[in-house]
Amino acid sequence: MNIDLDKMLAKVRSSQWALADIDWDAPGAELVTAEQWPKLKEFMSDLMWIEHVGARGFAAMAKKAPNDTLKELYVYFHAEEQRHANTEMALMRRWGMLDGEEIPEPNINLRLVIEWLDQHSDDMPLEVLGSVIPMLEIALDGALCKFLLDTVNDPVCHQAFARINDDESRHLGVGFHVLEMQGHGNLYRMALKAVATALNPKLMLGILAYLPLLNRMRDNIITMGLKEESLYSAMKKYERIGGRTAAGRRNPWFQIISRHGRLVVNRKHLYHRPVDALVRLTDHYPRRLLRPIPTWVKQLTYKTTA
Amino acid sequence: MSPTAVTRKTAARRSRAARGKVKPADVLIVGAGFAGLGTAIRLLAAGIDNIVILERGSEVGGTWRDNSYPGAACDIPSNLYSFSFAQNPQWSRGYSGSGEILGYIRHLVAHYKLGRLIRFGHTVTGLAFDAEQGVWNASLAGGGVVSARAAVMAQGPLSNASFPDIAGIERFKGHKIHSARWDHGYDFTGKRVAVIGTGASAVQIIPELVGKAARLKVFQRTPAWVLPRLDYSAPDWSKAVFRRVPATQSLVREVMYWAHESMAFGMIWNTPMTTLLQGVSSRFLRRQVRDPWMRRQLAPDFRIGCKRVLMSSDYYRALQRDNCELITWPIAGIVEKGIRTSEGLEHQVDCIVFATGFEVSKSGTPFPITGLDGRKLGAEWARGAQAYKSVNVAGYPNLFMTFGPNSGPGHNSALVYMESQIDYIVRGIGTILRQDLKQLDVRAEAQVRYNKGIQKRLATTNWNSGCKSWYLTEDGYNATMYPGFATQFKRQMKTFAQQDYRAL
Repeated sequence: MNIDLDKMLAKVRSSQWALADIDWDAPGAELVTAEQWPKLKEFMSDLMWIEHVGARGFAAMAKKAPNDTLKELYVYFHAEEQRHANTEMALMRRWGMLDGEEIPEPNINLRLVIEWLDQHSDDMPLEVLGSVIPMLEIALDGALCKFLLDTVNDPVCHQAFARINDDESRHLGVGFHVLEMQGHGNLYRMALKAVATALNPKLMLGILAYLPLLNRMRDNIITMGLKEESLYSAMKKYERIGGRTAAGRRNPWFQIISRHGRLVVNRKHLYHRPVDALVRLTDHYPRRLLRPIPTWVKQLTYKTTA
Repeated sequence: MSPTAVTRKTAARRSRAARGKVKPADVLIVGAGFAGLGTAIRLLAAGIDNIVILERGSEVGGTWRDNSYPGAACDIPSNLYSFSFAQNPQWSRGYSGSGEILGYIRHLVAHYKLGRLIRFGHTVTGLAFDAEQGVWNASLAGGGVVSARAAVMAQGPLSNASFPDIAGIERFKGHKIHSARWDHGYDFTGKRVAVIGTGASAVQIIPELVGKAARLKVFQRTPAWVLPRLDYSAPDWSKAVFRRVPATQSLVREVMYWAHESMAFGMIWNTPMTTLLQGVSSRFLRRQVRDPWMRRQLAPDFRIGCKRVLMSSDYYRALQRDNCELITWPIAGIVEKGIRTSEGLEHQVDCIVFATGFEVSKSGTPFPITGLDGRKLGAEWARGAQAYKSVNVAGYPNLFMTFGPNSGPGHNSALVYMESQIDYIVRGIGTILRQDLKQLDVRAEAQVRYNKGIQKRLATTNWNSGCKSWYLTEDGYNATMYPGFATQFKRQMKTFAQQDYRAL
């Protein structure tokens, strides 16, 4: 997927929107049924947090961008993912899902991922985050958001997600462009570098935080009623788009992540035994070992003005 | 050329000028800031007194007249940020504020009786060279022309300030202030204020405003390297010593000069000293800012020296005050009630302070300049300015510049550079008048040779190491900075190589 990054940056700049552009008091909130409400609350909270950790991922990528245009795009994407999280929080508030001014409580796996992002994401090479982020984006875009819009009839929700999806399509465009960009060069050297990166203890910690989070999210989403097939097709989409050029397929991280995607959607695979055990184990993770919540998390807000 | 021939030529020119409306001055100077006034002082000292200074404002002082925002001060010690030939023993602080610097400039005007030379309210709209007569004609806004045998462009690089090009800026219903055009009538007490920009002016304004405003939101695009500014109040005894024994002040100035010169090792080139300076600045940030995320927001990701290094001991502290907020999200646009950022929030404020700097001319000229055969300097400089020794441009005889291309310092006092330019200009003008030349024009090949050397040397400097800054054009061409020590610059300006000029 070859795109002109300068044109993309101009498009991003001219496509900015604000929470104040949406009428949060417009009718339609009542269309969320009492039956939907508790599960939707959990779903929205997870969705919002995923957007937020994605935002932090883009912040780390901005530090690693090989040129100014890409750097600026990532700076915007960081802000836009934050905007999505803020928008989803505003929807939660509209539906009475927020406890006063409080930000929804992240689950322990999210806390661990937030902690890892805070401590180590800036040290990660671009190819790792640049390959994981499109996967998360495609899962969000292709499965979660679609599911939400199929399930919830509130027109304000549809209006908000129309804007979010527009942003996400640009993120994906750039994401796959970078994924392919990272696939150019000597294959042997790339593979060797990938092995060296994978052996980085900081990355290992990140993988340990990431795997159980994915499984927990999958469980939460399925409880909510999302069909596993939707997730499966989202993962396939990642494989299809990322792997449609030789450069994309040559990117070792694309290979690792797409293969991992296949494991995640195959519930019968042995992979899930240790990972599900990790999910249960993290439930017992001593809270006192957690660092204080970083201040970047505290920038989340449902407010339109400040 | 025999003396009789010179006399005859002079007489002929005089009679031509007499036939015209007004006899041309010897020198016209555009701008009554430090550079223009300094040039006038040195010209007077050289016995050249038929000078006209054209000033668009109603006051002298240039940058220091315009930049009167709260906290405005120089980030070079005053003992060094002043003319060596007019030292001021009375500086009240290590780094004086704009008011005191403006006072010094006014003192220069009074002491050297420059007032008689200055024509206030005279905005130059164009300069054109009359090759036949050997004079520059400055056309003025509102009509009129001032002519002189030599012209000095001393309008300064930091003289044009305007609001930045942010979408929706015209929609804002609150108060707008530019740092270089401060509105002293506006009371910030209890107001919600936004400051856009975190450069040299902003780091001085923010600590002042945070004490007055109810809320202060600081919008940052790129964080800069910050070093503590070791300011102090000058004790009376030191003023007395400087007054009685001026050599002591010269000695202090010399020490400061060499201390700043040593900074070039780290600021201009990438050396172990660069790493050391970055270490000092990073440590300062770590000590001053407790929150790791805020530290990350404030940590630059380019090499120190690539952009202007900021000097402030109270900026970081101000940012952490309860009523202050640092916002690093990109600005999406300005609306009626405030600023919208890309994370979706509208920051509603009563006043926006634009500390967004100046339009520094790196390509083009502040007004049309027409040289020999109708050539336009703006067009020649469209892809980046260049000159010979920063002072002359081939094809524009008898035209001199202060702060011309590639004369900016990154580590030492701008006035040190300016002084050596001024002395060079005085030698050039002296040559024109003494030899009664119609044209003293630098040779194109000398200019090309000089610039080749400059650009080659610039390629290995920190300024050209990859960051975007006002030093560079959009294409990354550096037409602003001098790649070397102030001592090297001074040395190159010491010799006036007439063989590099075409004299007519």
